[in-house]
Amino acid sequence: MSKFIIQVNGSVYGSTASFRALSFCQSALANGHQIINVFFYQDGVTNSSALTCPASDEIDMHSNWQSLSLQYAIPLTNCVSAALRRGVLSPQDATENGKPQWNSSDAFTMGGLGELVVGIEHADRLISF
Amino acid sequence: MKSLVIIFRHAPLGTTSTREGLDFAMLSASFEQQVSIVFTNEAVLHLLAGQAPEQAGSKDYVSAFKALSLYDIDTVLVCAESMTTLGLQADELSISATIVAPQAITDALQAADEVLVF
Repeated sequence: MSKFIIQVNGSVYGSTASFRALSFCQSALANGHQIINVFFYQDGVTNSSALTCPASDEIDMHSNWQSLSLQYAIPLTNCVSAALRRGVLSPQDATENGKPQWNSSDAFTMGGLGELVVGIEHADRLISF
Repeated sequence: MKSLVIIFRHAPLGTTSTREGLDFAMLSASFEQQVSIVFTNEAVLHLLAGQAPEQAGSKDYVSAFKALSLYDIDTVLVCAESMTTLGLQADELSISATIVAPQAITDALQAADEVLVF
């Protein structure tokens, strides 16, 4: 059994990176491996937006990540600076920056790049998408 | 501590990929990981002197490459083949870096614990 940390750099839509990352997580878990964290960086932070609203016949990556996190108790971490640059805010970020709205859902927590580095140290393997 | 190789593949200005990769490189070095950097493909263009990224609406992250040694990032490899393809000469590089053949990059990747591509 291996301990993985997953890095998602691809946008919630327009790139298949996020879907491939999710598929990898599901396969790894089904085969008895452990995912210690999914870290969203670069355009990957858009996966955390609760305001993504694809048509009913499309894949809802945001909701898929939420389900995975809930089912297997896997933390989903956004890089906070990458997120702020792209208009992805938690309630606290919105308050602190005087913004009228927030969009990152509760299933995702904001963190620093340090959490990615510490995760890499603790994991057997980092897989980036 | 793990040994991390961070590869830059994208040209300056067109994407923010290298900028965010550089953030990661410096952060992980400050967390006392052993960090090496590789410039390949169009990313070698980051090493040309006299760039003005602000004119293209970008924060001047290019000049931050000069600070790599302050973060104890001493291994900076540049792909010789990519330089030839893009017409760059060794004396045009704006930072201290080692120009190497692709095989040396392959060797560095094989020796690393983790490889991150930006």
